[in-house]
Amino acid sequence: MNPTSRRVFLRNGIVLGASVTSLSALLAACGGSDSSGALDVAATPELEGETIKVLVNQPNLGAWKVVAAEFEKETGAKVELSPIPYDKLTSQAIRDVQSGAGEFDVFQYWYVGLGDLVEGGALEDLTDYIEEHADEIKPDDYLASIYDPYTLMDGRRWGLPFDGDTFLLFYNRRIFDEFGVQPPQTWDEYAQVAKTITEGGKGDVYGAIVMGQQVPIILGCSYADRLVGFGGRFVDESGKPQLTSPEAIAAAEALFAVGPDALPTPLQTGFDQAIPAFLNGQGAMIEFWTDMSVMASNPEQSKIIDDWAAVKLPVGGSNTVHGTALNAGFGAGVSAISKRKEAAAALVKFQSSPAVQEKIIGEFGTGGDPIRKSTLQSAAFKKTFGQAAPDVAEGLEGQPLVWPNTAGAVDKLQTLVDELALGIQGQQSAQEALEKAQAAWERA
Amino acid sequence: MIATRPRRWPSAVLALVTAVCSIPLLYLVSLSLRSRDDVLSGSLLPSRLFWDNWPDTFRSLDLGRFLLNSWVVALLAVAVTLALALPGAYYTARAGRAGERLSAVVMASYCAPPVVAVLPLFFLLRSAGLNNTLPGLALVVGLANLPVAVWLLDGFVRRVPREIEEAAWLDGLGHWATLRRIVVPLASPGIVAAGLICFFLSYNELLFAISFQQQTSVQTLPVALSLFQGDRNIEFGQQAVASLIGIAPVYLLAVLAQRRLVAGLVAGAVK
Amino acid sequence: MSAVVAPPRPSPSAPADAPAGARPRRRPGLPGLPPRPRRGGRVGRTPASLSWPLIAALLVFSAFPFAYLIGLALTESTLARPLGAFTGLDNLTEALSSTAFKGSLWRSTLFALTASAVQLVLGTALALLLAVRGRRLGWTGVVLLLPLVTPPVMVGVAWKLLLAPVGGALPSIAGSLGLGDPNPLGSPTGAMVTLIVIDTWQWTPFVTLLVYAALLGVPRDLLDAARIDGASSWQTVRHIVLPLIAGTLVAVALLRMIIAFKLFDIVYVVTSGGPGFATTLSSFDIYRTGLQQFQVGEAAAATIVFSLLVGVFVTVVSRLRRRVAGAAG
Repeated sequence: MNPTSRRVFLRNGIVLGASVTSLSALLAACGGSDSSGALDVAATPELEGETIKVLVNQPNLGAWKVVAAEFEKETGAKVELSPIPYDKLTSQAIRDVQSGAGEFDVFQYWYVGLGDLVEGGALEDLTDYIEEHADEIKPDDYLASIYDPYTLMDGRRWGLPFDGDTFLLFYNRRIFDEFGVQPPQTWDEYAQVAKTITEGGKGDVYGAIVMGQQVPIILGCSYADRLVGFGGRFVDESGKPQLTSPEAIAAAEALFAVGPDALPTPLQTGFDQAIPAFLNGQGAMIEFWTDMSVMASNPEQSKIIDDWAAVKLPVGGSNTVHGTALNAGFGAGVSAISKRKEAAAALVKFQSSPAVQEKIIGEFGTGGDPIRKSTLQSAAFKKTFGQAAPDVAEGLEGQPLVWPNTAGAVDKLQTLVDELALGIQGQQSAQEALEKAQAAWERA
Repeated sequence: MIATRPRRWPSAVLALVTAVCSIPLLYLVSLSLRSRDDVLSGSLLPSRLFWDNWPDTFRSLDLGRFLLNSWVVALLAVAVTLALALPGAYYTARAGRAGERLSAVVMASYCAPPVVAVLPLFFLLRSAGLNNTLPGLALVVGLANLPVAVWLLDGFVRRVPREIEEAAWLDGLGHWATLRRIVVPLASPGIVAAGLICFFLSYNELLFAISFQQQTSVQTLPVALSLFQGDRNIEFGQQAVASLIGIAPVYLLAVLAQRRLVAGLVAGAVK
Repeated sequence: MSAVVAPPRPSPSAPADAPAGARPRRRPGLPGLPPRPRRGGRVGRTPASLSWPLIAALLVFSAFPFAYLIGLALTESTLARPLGAFTGLDNLTEALSSTAFKGSLWRSTLFALTASAVQLVLGTALALLLAVRGRRLGWTGVVLLLPLVTPPVMVGVAWKLLLAPVGGALPSIAGSLGLGDPNPLGSPTGAMVTLIVIDTWQWTPFVTLLVYAALLGVPRDLLDAARIDGASSWQTVRHIVLPLIAGTLVAVALLRMIIAFKLFDIVYVVTSGGPGFATTLSSFDIYRTGLQQFQVGEAAAATIVFSLLVGVFVTVVSRLRRRVAGAAG
């Protein structure tokens, strides 16, 4: 055949061959991933010169840098941190393992996604490891409210706690004095204070900042704060949804009712608008993680350095016991396909140890929250948390509201949040919203 | 073109449009010079000039690395796109009904949102060992922009005078050689234009970059920008600095190539 | 461009009328025998080999993911456990019964059609103004390119901050001008309008440039003739210029429409689909369902339904394009 058609033939052949090869390679890859061996619980890994890769949550990067520095100092191993946005943490870990890519050895995970991670086979079973190293890990030192929800799934343990995360009600003392109101103890008082300040503020200042952006980590937290205040729960001990209880409905009604008196408008308010509004003195009250105290004291960012204060989350209805909710909250686990599981487990153990946890809490600006009883007694905790320390301790040692964490929990929470958003918009009542959410939770 | 009498009002309207066009971008400059407590202070200009964001951004991010990655990925992606689109567009332009059918299939493939496709593509890249690499991302991004390139180049190829092609034919040139020696040189302004547009699309591509690049060393600028968004306490000033530094070289490229871009599009439109 | 009558075959040693840039080549053939005829004997039978690279790319990038998508849609699939048990049309039913998704189909259509139409009109008007001014883009062209090269994330951030109800620059200015307390992002309609405005800001330059280039190709003599005949500018535009560039207009509209249907970045950054579901466009809803709620089976079914919807509109506009191209002759 002439040169031209020969060239054409070759070209066709190469192209077809390439497609076939890649497709068959793909099928082969789908067949199975590389085996990386089970975790040897008793082994002492050689850490000097080892590099451990960690997938971390962007807002917790500061805390991890502390961990990495300490770990390197102590063992000579290098820790490589890869931050990703908070809403991609769970999906990225699952995909990393399922695709066989295995880029990471350690995953920081949101405890609500624990069920999905275990179902996806992303985490290594650490039950035996914890038992083997119990004297170092001190499992009894973990706060009872935290240890099981953050690590226990299907009777086995899959990681160790990393960051506690609870909420307080922050308020602006100066605005309160100006309008002659007191820090609210109940959600009714909260609504009253919000109304007074917003009506009197005439657009310059608002009584309450309500974060209602329609994702679990934002609107879910706002709802959870009220739910725990009224004495409600997401699920009971056996895991059955409790969304249509009187407490749950009352909590939703409180959330919807404050909308008109809140910073315009709750549904569009996420962190990016809520935080500056509070720190600029445009909003008088905000429920937020404890590290708001750090932000409020930072002269680079805050105009209310001397004006802020915090109280426990209000109670409501017939409930008189102040509680807190475990909103966010993270653990760290070993990737199921890591090629250096022993080293990874050592890092997970290290970050969760009492000494390192105290160091994280002690560093200003890491946003860490306590996970251990011993941390609550430490000087570092009292110093960093200042006047909020007793409230935080009381909340954590009590019965904080735990979010569901079984497989599909994230999906369920999104469904709940969607219904609540419709309610905030005025398209349905609290009762209707929660009934629909309850039905969806029971179906799943 | 339309009137020979010079008129004032077109220029005035265009000046207004130009002003409106630049407000968000000038705002980015303004953002880059604000401290965090000044971000939502209700004014277009910062209340005081805060220069720290500029050095701080370089300290908190390896901006040079992100920029380099972005340029490498975008250039490779454009190469992939053009290499595949040129013969394809030649076919869709010249092959009659079969060409139309291929063009329709290409457009149909462009209709689907790529979100869920990220999963199988991830598997595919991994099986070829290309995930977490710059060439891997460039390949996917290049393939993603293929329909746009084919659509643009189809029009340019059609404008190449048939007489010249036919003369080459009679002279014994095969189609591939015709493509290489006749069509490409004659359509080159249009190819440059299509290449530039694909460059802009590749440079700002976010979804694939976030999904396939896990290690910081191979991440591109849009990923870095989205990391800022992933904070609770967003550093808007630094984010603005990073984006301005990212836009600047691309923008320079666009301005310098602007003449060629228009010339290319004009050449494609003539006839 | 009329068809060329096949000229007599030139002798092997004397290729005639070789165009500049093409090296004369000896036609291959066995010595002593007459030279072999070209394929088909006429210019035109384009070999399929030209399409192979494109087809291979489509196989890898479109066909395989599409097959996987179908697999996800027909089985019980979560992100953690994809491609589980066969569930038939369950995912499809699930997707179609989701009020968020059904609404998103309508919202995406509304957004895509409105945005494309607005940008087409605006872009053409701007292109006409530019063309009136002359053949050089000048400073306007320089500024026009900016929205195209700005990362969508930053576009979203800038607009969101500008429009923030408390502390945003634009509401403050509006307030001080006595225009009340506008909060466009706070109401469902306002948020949708804002999205259209932002998208228009970003993509009108694209339309303008393409239409401007087409306008420059309009022959001067036609316009001069119209002027001599006494036609006003507007009549000239309407009856001469627009029909001539109709093909380009429809083609630009098609591309712009498809891109608008798939809008994601701006929704993600500026409104997150809110308030409520007011700006939950389909690509954002699919992202939520698949990558945030981990229901990839349902997300896959939704993708297929949505692609079909987009396909319908693409077909309609393509038919229009063919009709317009045919009319132009």
